[in-house]
Amino acid sequence: MTYKENKQTLLALFILMILMATTTLTFGQTTINPDTVCVNAVAEQYFVTNTATSTYQWTVVGGGGALQTGQGSNSITIDWGAVGGLYPNAVEVIESNAAGCPGAPVLLDVFILDLSGNAIGPFCPGDPTTALVGTPAGGTWSGTGVSANAFDPTTAGIGAYVLTYSMAGCNTTINVIVNNGPVTGPIQHF
Amino acid sequence: MKRLLFILCFLVSLTANSQCVSNQSSNMTPAGPYVPGQVVTINYTLGTFTQLNLNWIIAFQINLGPGWTNLQPLITPGNPIGSTGFWMWDLQNTFPSGLNWGPGWRFINTGTANWGTGSTGPFTMRFRVTVAPTCTPDNLSISMNVIGDCLTGGWNNGSCCVDPAYNIYNNNVLIIPIITPNINHY
Repeated sequence: MTYKENKQTLLALFILMILMATTTLTFGQTTINPDTVCVNAVAEQYFVTNTATSTYQWTVVGGGGALQTGQGSNSITIDWGAVGGLYPNAVEVIESNAAGCPGAPVLLDVFILDLSGNAIGPFCPGDPTTALVGTPAGGTWSGTGVSANAFDPTTAGIGAYVLTYSMAGCNTTINVIVNNGPVTGPIQHF
Repeated sequence: MKRLLFILCFLVSLTANSQCVSNQSSNMTPAGPYVPGQVVTINYTLGTFTQLNLNWIIAFQINLGPGWTNLQPLITPGNPIGSTGFWMWDLQNTFPSGLNWGPGWRFINTGTANWGTGSTGPFTMRFRVTVAPTCTPDNLSISMNVIGDCLTGGWNNGSCCVDPAYNIYNNNVLIIPIITPNINHY
């Protein structure tokens, strides 16, 4: 085999590896434990790989979670509650085979992410840039007049704005107002 | 001397363990191991029944482990050059000796009640069993006892035939473990 042929073989292998990795990511999705969801999230879908002859008993505990659809199947939807925090073993599934024999429970912890942002303003044109503080830290702010997680009233200009704090697919917003400054007339001399 | 004693003991042991029954064979279709719900057919043949003290063969008892269910007879043993009568499939019977027997086939001698058959074999039979629904590895043993009419109280002419049960199968239900993958969240 020539050097050129070797090179082509290596290239083909490389492409094959990428395809295999892509396939794994597409069909073998694995949720990291704990799973993170947004506060008050609705219709969140959870599933395990299906075995046609099996049934699945799901249990949702804590986090204000309520199983909505799919009990008995390998895929369910859950509406989550309004209180953030970590809920160990919040989702449980027990698979039973065609003979009705149960397998070992499979558990998933759930972290309900409750974002909040600091109230700022109202501002006047020319006010200094103000830091935007999101909780928990580590997210990203966006919106008119936002740069590097800070709000600049001068850049935004006069108006009412909605700024968004985002993390792990969750969002929260704050409202910010930049008011008109007083319009002072010319100095008069009686 | 020791060697002579050993040979004597060995011969006595052989006699004690196989008085009247010889040339037994069996097969199972399909071959094991077995899972719940599986249907299995068993063929069993007793090649020769030696009539010790004129004991006549009178019954075959099928011993099943608790993992089996739905025992069904398929082929009744023959009665080559035997007495007048027939082999009857039965689930339970208490013989005149008080022997509680069953299930299996027992010979109904229509000439002399409670006698077995004068046939010495071969006797070939077939039956079917099903693995019961279960979640645990239940016992699936199968064995066969061959019984002479001395044991059942129909004949008394010295020692009875006392043969150990012939082991046909000795294993447990195969339980395939349920391995549920991790929970995923879209």
